[in-house]
Amino acid sequence: MKIVIAAASLPLFGAQVCAADFNRDIRPLLQKHCVECHGEKKQKGELRLDAKVHAFKGGHDGPAIVAGNVDASPLFQRITSTDDDERMPPEGEPLSAAQIALIKKWIEGGAVWPENDADKAATMDKRWQHWSVQAVKAASALAEPLGLKPELLSIDTFINASLSAKGFAMSPEADRRTLIRRLSFDLIGLPPAPERVERFVRDNDPQAYGKLVDELLASPHYGERWARHWLDIAHYADTHGFERDQLRPNAWHYRDYVIDSLNADKPYDRFIREQIAGDVFASDDAQSVIATGFLAAGPWDFVGNVETQSDMLKRAARAGDLDDMVTQLITSTMGITINCARCHDHKLDPITQQEYYSLWSVFAGVKRGEREVSAAESRRLADEKERLGKELAQTRTQIARLAGEGLELAKLIPGDSGIDMRTGAITKAKQDYHRDIPANKNVSVPSVPSVLSVFVPNGPAPIPATSGHFWDTIANRPLNSQRSTKLGDTDFAAKGHTTLAMHANSGVVLDLAKLREQTGGAAMRLTGLVGFGAAKEAADTRADFTVFVDAELKFQKLKLRKDETAALDIEVPATAKTLTLIATDGGDGISHDLLFIGDPKLIPSVAETRLTQADAAELKKLHAAAQKLEGEIKALPAPAKVYAIVSEAKPPVIKVQRRGNPEDEGAEVVPAAFTWAKHAPVALGDNAAPEGQRRRALTEWITHPDNPLTRRVLVNRLWHHHFGQGLVTTPSDFGLGGDKPSHPELLDWLAGEFLRGGWSLKHMHKLIVTSAAYRQQSGFGSSRNNAAKAATTVDSANRLLWRQNPRRLDAESLRDAVLAVSGKLNLERGGPGFRDFTYTEAYAPIYDYITPDKPELWRRSIYRFIVRTTPHQFMSTLDCPDPANLTPARVNTITALQALTLSNNDFMLQQARHLVTRLETETNSREAAIRRAFALALQRDATVAELQAAMPLVAEQGLFALCRMLINANEFIYLD
Amino acid sequence: MNSAFPCHQQKRSVTRRDFLWELGGGLGGVALAAMTNDAHAATNPLAAKAVHHPAKAKAVIKIFCPGGLSHVDSWDYKPELAKRQGKPFDTDGKVQFFASKPGNCQGSYWPFRQHGQCGRWMSDLFPKLAQRVDEIAFIHSMQSKSALHGPAMFMANSGFILPGFPSMGAWVTYGLGSVSEELPAFVVLPDPRGLPPGGVINWGAGFLPAIHQGTTLNTDPEKPPIADLFPHKDFAHLRGASEQSSRDFLQTLNRAHAAERAGNTELEARIAAYELAARLQLSAPEATDLRGESDATKKLYSLEHEDIGPFGRQCLLARRLVERGTRFVQIYCGAENTTAKKIRPNWDSHEDIVRDHGYWGPILDTGAAALLADLKSRGLLDSTLVICTSEFGRQPAAQGKGRDHNPGAFTAWMAGGGTKGGVSFGETDELGFKAAADPAYCYDLHATALHLLGLNHEKLSFYNNGVQRRLTDVHGHVIKGILA
Repeated sequence: MKIVIAAASLPLFGAQVCAADFNRDIRPLLQKHCVECHGEKKQKGELRLDAKVHAFKGGHDGPAIVAGNVDASPLFQRITSTDDDERMPPEGEPLSAAQIALIKKWIEGGAVWPENDADKAATMDKRWQHWSVQAVKAASALAEPLGLKPELLSIDTFINASLSAKGFAMSPEADRRTLIRRLSFDLIGLPPAPERVERFVRDNDPQAYGKLVDELLASPHYGERWARHWLDIAHYADTHGFERDQLRPNAWHYRDYVIDSLNADKPYDRFIREQIAGDVFASDDAQSVIATGFLAAGPWDFVGNVETQSDMLKRAARAGDLDDMVTQLITSTMGITINCARCHDHKLDPITQQEYYSLWSVFAGVKRGEREVSAAESRRLADEKERLGKELAQTRTQIARLAGEGLELAKLIPGDSGIDMRTGAITKAKQDYHRDIPANKNVSVPSVPSVLSVFVPNGPAPIPATSGHFWDTIANRPLNSQRSTKLGDTDFAAKGHTTLAMHANSGVVLDLAKLREQTGGAAMRLTGLVGFGAAKEAADTRADFTVFVDAELKFQKLKLRKDETAALDIEVPATAKTLTLIATDGGDGISHDLLFIGDPKLIPSVAETRLTQADAAELKKLHAAAQKLEGEIKALPAPAKVYAIVSEAKPPVIKVQRRGNPEDEGAEVVPAAFTWAKHAPVALGDNAAPEGQRRRALTEWITHPDNPLTRRVLVNRLWHHHFGQGLVTTPSDFGLGGDKPSHPELLDWLAGEFLRGGWSLKHMHKLIVTSAAYRQQSGFGSSRNNAAKAATTVDSANRLLWRQNPRRLDAESLRDAVLAVSGKLNLERGGPGFRDFTYTEAYAPIYDYITPDKPELWRRSIYRFIVRTTPHQFMSTLDCPDPANLTPARVNTITALQALTLSNNDFMLQQARHLVTRLETETNSREAAIRRAFALALQRDATVAELQAAMPLVAEQGLFALCRMLINANEFIYLD
Repeated sequence: MNSAFPCHQQKRSVTRRDFLWELGGGLGGVALAAMTNDAHAATNPLAAKAVHHPAKAKAVIKIFCPGGLSHVDSWDYKPELAKRQGKPFDTDGKVQFFASKPGNCQGSYWPFRQHGQCGRWMSDLFPKLAQRVDEIAFIHSMQSKSALHGPAMFMANSGFILPGFPSMGAWVTYGLGSVSEELPAFVVLPDPRGLPPGGVINWGAGFLPAIHQGTTLNTDPEKPPIADLFPHKDFAHLRGASEQSSRDFLQTLNRAHAAERAGNTELEARIAAYELAARLQLSAPEATDLRGESDATKKLYSLEHEDIGPFGRQCLLARRLVERGTRFVQIYCGAENTTAKKIRPNWDSHEDIVRDHGYWGPILDTGAAALLADLKSRGLLDSTLVICTSEFGRQPAAQGKGRDHNPGAFTAWMAGGGTKGGVSFGETDELGFKAAADPAYCYDLHATALHLLGLNHEKLSFYNNGVQRRLTDVHGHVIKGILA
């Protein structure tokens, strides 16, 4: 600030002024001339003069008032400046000389500012008084103003109280047909069968409605319906999204987890805990691990996170990843728009940027990815496979012994594996060039008892001198880069054949004593066919094959050509101890020396031609047993995987990103929650805390019984889905930018009931749907009901709930209802989603939607395989949201394209045709068919007028026209 | 309302009214039918809306070149780059591009020349557009916040690098409503080769009501222009008069249902939607039927050319749609990516820029130049804003025979709709590596386009999960220098 003229030089300060009293003289001056720009609403220059604390703290130029010193008090300097740009107040007349003198006197007299209530109130940040972060009121406190006992409170108490305060009343109860239709779609997302409607309408039992509610809540379709709502706020889909929108073939486990949890009425606090940290609480429990699919449900950019060469782009992608995770978690559970604090402190809510990044550090060690559902189960499967494998080997040995079929040498190596020439270990991995294995050094193979050792041969004669190099492993499967498994006309990879691949330069020493135990033979013969697995077009190459029995050279073929083979038939005497097979490079290097032996066998020399009857029977049994074991091994499932989270124990330290820019890092943060919700300490550990511990601490903070938001947010979500509108109309925003509750006391009472009911969702559903408020008619009221008429004008948005809200079916319910009516709904539950598209593998896979008319595509919509980049046109036309977005409330539109889609889409027409078939099967007259069609689609009989209109339509165009139009009708698509 | 249905038979409407009389309870029912139009207007989110200030442009045609069009080979003249041909680009070896380390400086593969009265430099890649530079305003200092196709596509279309935000066309129809009830307000013409990177959500409505999402127009003349416009051929009998009597039956049911629920305007809107659908069945095939176009026009767009023809067809369709009142048309010149060793299906020329830009150049050049000429000759250019952009540019340093992604600089241009021709805004550095003077983002391009449409980009907002969201996020300046 530039002071142009020193105030003290002005002549008027010679005037005599009485002592200034702050409250009498100064406060009114400040209020009148300053506070408009320097008060609660505006703080020009960051200065407030409406309260003591602010005034003495000053603005961005420092303290505005310095007691006893007008020269050092900018406030005084500014009101006395003669520069028009400087002088305050900026508009209107300058302060009078007398007023200025009063202020001078006051400052010189010590600037005494006695604090009153307004001063104190102004120091408080009112955002901390925001309704949603205050503790949930106890039932007793809610009952008192109504003059009731707490146990007499109900939903209707609160609704009626606010209606009668405005002179309104609830609408009458809807008729039973309307109620059962409403209740069915609400709770299970399907229409009731006409027979069930009939039964309910005629039921004289006063408990009929309550029983219906229980029946629907117990239905497995309840979870299928309500999972959709939860998956909307988890923005779940079955592909990654972004440019390379790849499949997540194992994401569905999480979808099923949500369905099953809801059906089991899993307490909500546990439901949340599992989804954030189930893998920490119970790492061996499959469902707990699957639950963390929640954190991974949203979109993820493969190109940015993995494919790009640029670290900067990777950091940007990771930042997006963490933002998505934290935003989803906090908006879904607590309804706070935490993401608004990514680039700066939250503009509306008192949440700092630092707090936002503190939440990042809870998830700093968490990434999305495939993981085994259960480590224990994977171990069990591996053990089982090994056990069965051993048993099979034993059985085969017995068969060989009895039948004299010989022992297949390739099967000495277990599984599709090879022997690592450097370590002697069995490995599944394909390897390539080995240039540094010491030659002629025996490496023992401890895991295969009948193999003594392997080695890289290099002389001395008669073993040829070699390059000393080696490729891949000695394997019972094709070698790395092996192009062919055929020798002559025989493909040794085909069933019933075996191969033992021995690329040059390799040697293996077999223990004949151990092998005899398996073959049962004494004297044996080694048989097989040696040749190349190189491609025809590969360069010419030569290789050698040599066999020793003990130290005696029994076979040698030098410079074998690529197009040649060599048959082995070698006597192995009963007294021999070792058998050594050696492949060498033919003197021209190891390139293309893909040598292998087809069907290498050790066959007992004395053929046991005459089996005893007992042996023959035994042999038959053994063959059957081997076949069974093979089948069992084949049937063993691969360990189940889920798309969820993978974590690293020591997460990186998170720093604040200035303006949300990952390249502009600020201060380090530690794992913490945010202080606005003050029910429990926010510290969640330090940066040395193990990854899982952080999530565990956060989940305790979120599901803390005193958390003011978690319970309110959830009961409001339930309310939203039962009434089409929440008590708070912004279900994922309980902050200052969101809506205020229409019935704050009711919201608190429900939140209390939720806790009393042990976080049971079904308890809450029942409370809500059995209320009179829920059961009201949804009409706008007739002239008979004056109160309702008044309500249409005063409360047209129906915030007071003087009626139920009519609702349009969402895309999923509409599709499911069409299938239910046509009779084709396939009620198969769970498992991988159905794919109503053709999939073409490509850099960015191509998804082409198709509408084949077959049962696997008639499953409920919750089981659709959801593709992010290519939404299903039928579904999105009907307002199915983009799963990139967190969707707490569906938006409904009415468009001409919807009319076209519902009239002409293949799915609709196919189902209309199925409905025709159903009517033709179930009825035997035109009139009966029409009436049945109305009953199925609209849960009521056709009126006389409707019958009169439908008869000529059906006569002219057949039942198809009627069926097609009924599933287009407003009455079909709307709930009263 | 009936006059809108040339096929509507008088007899049927009488029948319907008679029926309605019985069903809906006499006069009330008829009055209700008459009210339907008003109810529709009241609830129709596409009803034309008041603008913030007088508009220059009534419609937008946005040509999008996915993959990353190389500005240094086309619009952005960089003589210094040519001078440094073959010299090291990154002398200290610290720069890392999206997929590669920078090679040496690589000048334009196409020579630049001056064109038009304004004397602008343009390369020979676009000879036909070069002749129209006096109608075009270039923005040379465009930047993107991502070097990845997916996020950068989303940014160029919606202002955010994440999916889930409304695209520009959705915002425009949200802000302005529709001129025509006969055609969708926001139409997308994807490349016949397939969808662009990021897919359908490039023209999604995000969190705006789904009515604002782009309607994909099928440019294959063998297929119906809009999905589900007519039943599949397996249901070929569903045509003509039988459709009308089915619809009459439906509407009588709907009207009776609505009569018992007076005041529920959604029901009325849905009744109207079926009438609109019937009109769309007439107007959409008419709008997309090119048979009536003159031979000269067909030649102008090179419709017969095997490679250029499909894009020419997209451009011609865009002109026809705008003529008929469509508010926003987006044309894609290029599809999704592939790593296949052949001409890439879009502008992403990593391996061979001469091969790939050499293929795509004449396609964009012919179609876009024809569109400008055609709009101008019909007096539509003044009220139609044509935008041409990519999601980012390409590097001035070589990547073998190609170029890597460059989010630091690219060129977009606008023509017509209240812009000034023959001008440019912003500059890149001497090599075309980064925006140097007046750096701009899609925010500024979007703010300018909205401004020309009569919308203030700071006022066009929609509440979503805690934030009043805008197309321009918290950024954006109208580029005044290119306004006429």
